[in-house]
Amino acid sequence: MHNGKSLQRKLAAMFAGLFMLAAGAGWAQVDTMASIKQKGKMVVGVKADYKPFGYTDPAGKIVGLEIDLANDIARRLGVAIELVPVVAANRMEFVKQGRTDMMIATMAYRPDRAEVVAIPQPYYYAGAATVFAKKNSGLKNWTDLKGKPVCAVQGAYYNRKTGEEFGAQLVTFKGVTEAMAALEGGNCVGTVFDTTFFAGIMGDAKWADYAMMVPAIDPEPWGLGVRKEDTKFAAWISDVSKEWHKTGFVLELEKKWGIPQSPFLLEQQAKNK
Amino acid sequence: MREVPPPARFAVLLPLRLHPPRPAHADRSSGASLFTLRTGLALLALLLASVAVAQVQARDLSVGVVELLIKWTPLLAKGFGFNLLISALAMALGTAAGLLLGFARISLLAPVRGTSWIVVQFFRNSPWLVLLFFVMFLMPFELHFGGVTVPFPDWIKATLGLALPIMANFAEIVRGAVQSIPTAQWEAARSLAFSRRQTLWQIILPQCVKRMLPPWMNWYAILTMATTLASIVGVSEVMTITGRITAAEARTDLLIPIYSYVLLWFFLYCYPIALWTKRLETRYAER
Repeated sequence: MHNGKSLQRKLAAMFAGLFMLAAGAGWAQVDTMASIKQKGKMVVGVKADYKPFGYTDPAGKIVGLEIDLANDIARRLGVAIELVPVVAANRMEFVKQGRTDMMIATMAYRPDRAEVVAIPQPYYYAGAATVFAKKNSGLKNWTDLKGKPVCAVQGAYYNRKTGEEFGAQLVTFKGVTEAMAALEGGNCVGTVFDTTFFAGIMGDAKWADYAMMVPAIDPEPWGLGVRKEDTKFAAWISDVSKEWHKTGFVLELEKKWGIPQSPFLLEQQAKNK
Repeated sequence: MREVPPPARFAVLLPLRLHPPRPAHADRSSGASLFTLRTGLALLALLLASVAVAQVQARDLSVGVVELLIKWTPLLAKGFGFNLLISALAMALGTAAGLLLGFARISLLAPVRGTSWIVVQFFRNSPWLVLLFFVMFLMPFELHFGGVTVPFPDWIKATLGLALPIMANFAEIVRGAVQSIPTAQWEAARSLAFSRRQTLWQIILPQCVKRMLPPWMNWYAILTMATTLASIVGVSEVMTITGRITAAEARTDLLIPIYSYVLLWFFLYCYPIALWTKRLETRYAER
């Protein structure tokens, strides 16, 4: 019969928890490296549904190029690694809250993102986008998409450009497989996505009538994210990233995961030599 | 003497019989027809057909759809187990909280009654997904008790979020069941010097259990199906894993079979519950 009161108490506890969270965020030590070493593990936000950068294998393990990079960082710190699957909507929030120590999740650099998390340079990769459509679709340029339905994948950075600048009507899906199924079903004239993905499926007999129909838009560099306040950790990551390019580590991984060679990586290797 | 009138028209004149005896196979009538074995088998056949079609279409590709489904079954099973865990915990929490809230709804104190009414209405009439989002984003990812940090993982938050509507709906079941017991029993208990609490616990509630069980099981089946909502807030349950599998395989022909496969799992779990609920309802109604 005292439930009214107990409920109030519950609500009060909930709000107390919220305040603790807010206060905790204020006090949180910004020395990520020290806290990682103290915990003995590094928590990294990664994609679990973006082949071949971060995806799930049949055993439930998350694998991919980005996971290899994250492992390399953990190895350098001499700690274990814990992978937390993230999506575009929460990857930066988790870093900001301190839930993850770092994030490496196919995030393209954008000035407004650099406001939220620190994105150390040099960037580890660059992705370019194109439109995959039927060879007889008559598409030649991005401007040809105007007013036409184009399948897209939620959270991709070039969606805005495709929709706003080129005037395409975006039909967005949860994953690229769903978007490709929609393309197959004739729900859109083409699918806008990463060139690397399309390069991977070009050999399939199923897609023989399709091709990348428009020139790839400028590659956008992908960066990993760390806490904004922790400049020390960001600087250390920068050094690691430089070494990755210098030693050709990312180029090697690119080969390992069957990704076509990206000019960006060669450029970076020459730059950091 | 006059003729005995047909009982249906003057039931009120006959000795009280809450539920007239049902004809045989009463449960096959009208609304129950959805729950026949035949419909279940038809659904199953439909799902198998979709897999077969995909398998045939896949003949020019290296790996057939059935092989893919088998390959990913262990991971899917893990995800599905997670759904069941979330559903069981949310049901337990929702039932416990709902019982208290249900008592508050029949409290003699007007303020308690009023507050609980607001709480029940709020949680019963809010979309589950919205509640889930609220809990996910309002609650911290870890709790600090002095110097100890206790992690507060996403799936627990999702469990709490799903327990809220169950709590409110179960509160209504409790209230309805208590109020469905004839008030004469309260009066009789009072005349035997039972306190209100004793009457409730020793006389009313034991009779309510039977009445509450079928709707409670119904809500459990609904909750189990609703656990897939947790995929939207990032919990690694079966739908999230299905999404990851379709991303890993990048095979458009796998989409329909794999989602049908997951649907089949839920069906095989929830359908017996529905059947059992139906049977209990019929059995209790006959007493």
